[in-house]
Amino acid sequence: MAALHRQGWCAATGLLVPLLTLAAPGFLRLDGVPPAWAVLWLLPWALVDGPVSGAGAGLALALVLDGLHLGPVTLVPALVVLGWWWGRLGRRGTRIERSFSLGLLALLGTLLLGGTLLAQFAWLGEAGRPLLRTLLAQSLLTGLLAPMLCSLQLLLWRQQTAGLRG
Amino acid sequence: MQTGRSFRAPQLRPLGWLWPWLLLLLALLAVRLSKGAGFSDLYALLTRPFWPGSAQGEWVRSAQQLGDQMRLSQLEADNRRLRQLLQLQQADPVLVGAPVISRESGGWWQQLLIGKGALHGVRAGDPVLAPGGLLGRVASITPTTARVQLLTDGNSRIGVWVPRIRRHGLLTGVGTSRPVLRFLEKDPGARPGDLVATSPASTLVPPNLTVGVIQMVDDRAVPATEAVVQLSAPVQAVDWVQVPTGRR
Repeated sequence: MAALHRQGWCAATGLLVPLLTLAAPGFLRLDGVPPAWAVLWLLPWALVDGPVSGAGAGLALALVLDGLHLGPVTLVPALVVLGWWWGRLGRRGTRIERSFSLGLLALLGTLLLGGTLLAQFAWLGEAGRPLLRTLLAQSLLTGLLAPMLCSLQLLLWRQQTAGLRG
Repeated sequence: MQTGRSFRAPQLRPLGWLWPWLLLLLALLAVRLSKGAGFSDLYALLTRPFWPGSAQGEWVRSAQQLGDQMRLSQLEADNRRLRQLLQLQQADPVLVGAPVISRESGGWWQQLLIGKGALHGVRAGDPVLAPGGLLGRVASITPTTARVQLLTDGNSRIGVWVPRIRRHGLLTGVGTSRPVLRFLEKDPGARPGDLVATSPASTLVPPNLTVGVIQMVDDRAVPATEAVVQLSAPVQAVDWVQVPTGRR
């Protein structure tokens, strides 16, 4: 198991997720919908650090992000499952680092994340929301940004863990 | 002779590494339960140099003038009828100006974060006004910030009326930029262009605040007529809002 979570500054980059969620830069929106910053941070983290750390990071992110939003809808199940799943993928023999793979994983992850939100909104009787538009716009934007942002994070964090092992 | 066997306490050392993680989990739960108090305040502190200036765009000013004109004419019309009722209310509330420091109006949630909180007298439930009219209500507060639930949010419901026909209804957010006005009765006689204001009977928001203009009426909706309302406060462009405080 990589010891990425023992590096304080690596874990501290997770603080960027709630800050970027609050800042919501206008030039990084698609039809007013921002990308899923949690997915863009969690994907490389889990790929490098494994399933347990991935699920733990997903839980931590989800608890913080739930605190920043109104209502009882939660991100916890989706982010924990995604952290575990991507951590398992990262433990396989073949390294995942191609742009297409990262984009596809981020796209699927955002679809899963949005799907759980959509189900919760429907459960709460708020089916009138333009949920599908938000889901598609966020998935597309996150999938497009992932090859750029996740590649850099993967490179940086793999170098860091290689240095720790060496 | 019996060999002495000393009692041995169970080994607790292997669990010793757990306590920092338990502390972290407790801290995260505290963030969750306090609705992100620490993070909102940290974000407010970090972004304070970049908060929007007091200057508004020309079209925001014109929207404010339009809102003021509509509100003035409607207040004049209602003044005589409500004079006795108004005398029962408290003095005018203090308006607290607050910058918009985070805006989330196009995603899963419809909310704003403003840079004034409990320390400035803002309380949960306070109405939030923007140039042009009502924007929403304060949903939660931290010492230096307040989270505003916009009228467009799926959970937002406030009582409104159409002053021209004196018919009341419930303004319900549906997640789009245009909330739906559900009248309390069939065929109220509303038509596109009618002004919508907060209801004099509402206990949640002050009466007769401009909300928007009816854009489309659906008389075939069941059980009662529905109308799509274009809000008069431009959510995407508002940099400063006002919160009437001390009104209870």
